[in-house]
Amino acid sequence: MLMWRCTKMDFSEAADRISRKFSKSGQTVDSKKIEGKLRRLIEEFGVQPSEAERSVTNELNKEFNIPAMGPGGSAGSGGAGSSGTAEKKIADAAPGEWVTIEGKIVALAAPASPAIAQGGVIADDSGAIRFVAWAKANAPVMAQGSWYRIESAVVDEFKGIASLKIHSGTTIKEIEEDRALMPSTVPISGLHPGIGSIRAKVVQEWDASHERMLQSGLLGDETGTIKFVIWKEPGKESLAPGSVYNIFYAQVDEYNGRLSLNLNTAMIMQEEGDIAVSGGEAAVSGAIVHIAPGSGIIKRCPVEGCNRALSRQNYCPVHEIQPKFTYDLRIKGWLDDGKKTHSILLQRDVVESLTGISLDAAKEIAENNPLGMDEVFLQMRDKVLGRYITCHGREIENRVLVNKCEPVTFESEKHMALLNRAGGAS
Amino acid sequence: MSTPAREMGRKDASFEREPARRVFASELRECRYQFKDGEDEKSPTFVLLPTGERSNRIFIVGTLTEKTRQGDQNIFYRGRVVDPTGTFFIMAGSYQPEAMQQLAKIETPAFVAVIGKPSLYRKDEASAPMVSVRVESINVVDKETRDLWVLDTAERTLDRIEAFAAGTAPDIVKAKEQYPTIDPVTFRKIAYDALAQIKI
Repeated sequence: MLMWRCTKMDFSEAADRISRKFSKSGQTVDSKKIEGKLRRLIEEFGVQPSEAERSVTNELNKEFNIPAMGPGGSAGSGGAGSSGTAEKKIADAAPGEWVTIEGKIVALAAPASPAIAQGGVIADDSGAIRFVAWAKANAPVMAQGSWYRIESAVVDEFKGIASLKIHSGTTIKEIEEDRALMPSTVPISGLHPGIGSIRAKVVQEWDASHERMLQSGLLGDETGTIKFVIWKEPGKESLAPGSVYNIFYAQVDEYNGRLSLNLNTAMIMQEEGDIAVSGGEAAVSGAIVHIAPGSGIIKRCPVEGCNRALSRQNYCPVHEIQPKFTYDLRIKGWLDDGKKTHSILLQRDVVESLTGISLDAAKEIAENNPLGMDEVFLQMRDKVLGRYITCHGREIENRVLVNKCEPVTFESEKHMALLNRAGGAS
Repeated sequence: MSTPAREMGRKDASFEREPARRVFASELRECRYQFKDGEDEKSPTFVLLPTGERSNRIFIVGTLTEKTRQGDQNIFYRGRVVDPTGTFFIMAGSYQPEAMQQLAKIETPAFVAVIGKPSLYRKDEASAPMVSVRVESINVVDKETRDLWVLDTAERTLDRIEAFAAGTAPDIVKAKEQYPTIDPVTFRKIAYDALAQIKI
């Protein structure tokens, strides 16, 4: 049902594919005409789309006296004529295509719906792709680590992520030999939605924001950084901050234009060595238009490795009451350039240099002023709100973690340039 | 694959704060058209600038020249903030307690930075709509910040004027409809005059 709907819209794509195939061998065909033929076969005659495409292709083959295309490729045992779809390397499989591939099941995941029998990741030496076997397909159950030849599966796309759909027309054969498969890693900046392998360092670990979340944080390499998450599942372990890992076949998701990695499907191997992580550095200038509550002087949980901000009552969400807290400074706020507003988080040394209030001075105020910690907030707000500053730091999820900032100063060159611009054409 | 992508993103469903537009008093004063983006009670309200940009929030820096306390039961403050081109009318009431306390504290005259929401109102049926700015925050700043704001605002205003002429963006089209008698090029002269007032 779903297949039908997807493919129905893809007449023109299939038609283009066919006409491309023939134009490669020097023939000109009318893709509108092909589209019409496909439409007729599929809509009027209820022919399976793959079959329709094959039949139109073969009809044209005959017309041009080209021998009918079998599955082709190296695997001779496949039996000629068993499939009309092209044998592909996984990396070449494009959405909308009917393909035959040979690959190794490198990950299996719990099906998200009863309509799905099996899901996971299949890889060959060119790349990897997610797959879904529909329950209705009655496909044999595939085992992780084994190689399979999958004939006539469909590549489709959901939210920009390609996946291989195994349906009732797909044949699956296990390949006995165990072929060597070494995934190749890509730089983080080269990841795109789907499946990706990287070598990266854990640069940050964040508080779990969901009870099912085992760990989330930030991975980085020389080219950039990416958010990662590991969901709680038996056998899953957290990554150690500061360590370098080879991560094979992670799921690359896209949300609001940002990529993130889900490591639950991934093969993860810690390794020696270090990576000089690129900043993903951003510099944003603008006016500070808001200082959020929780800015100023705060108390942090003293438990080794925790460091969470405590509530007013010295309560840590994990370690409960902590009377022996440590003090820290931070400013959370919004920096606005008139077009976009960036969330900013200033760390202690940045706060000290921007406000001129040191941690010791703030402590003194917090402990002796009748308003306590609020007084530190108010003094800092009065010093920075409405001021123009430039912040340098790493931008993650629209928040700039500021490691350096300086006030914007008046530049007469800019003033002159604007006078010229404003006076120029009037 | 055990967790759909949707769920992963949910916690940081990135909230986009409405940017604070930079606009001179003499342009804001010309606003006559206000609209809501969406049907919701909580949908943001925008004032349409004659140069073709919607504005839910503005950032202004100028001189607070006057403030008055009004009301008995519901105290609120009104103030006038002057920039090189004209006057902004600001107010802060009990719904903005922090802003009201800040405004109450400031001695006039003073350079102030104001972050607030512009809105249109009429004194009565017969009078022309006025633009006033409901203060979210107000803070005393120095003259350099005021000068930086004039540069910033002149630049943004010139950007809008340049986008306006050939512009087909919905807000520009709407501005041409709503303000048929205003030629945004007049704001170029205003920007020039504002810039020229800064002593080099």
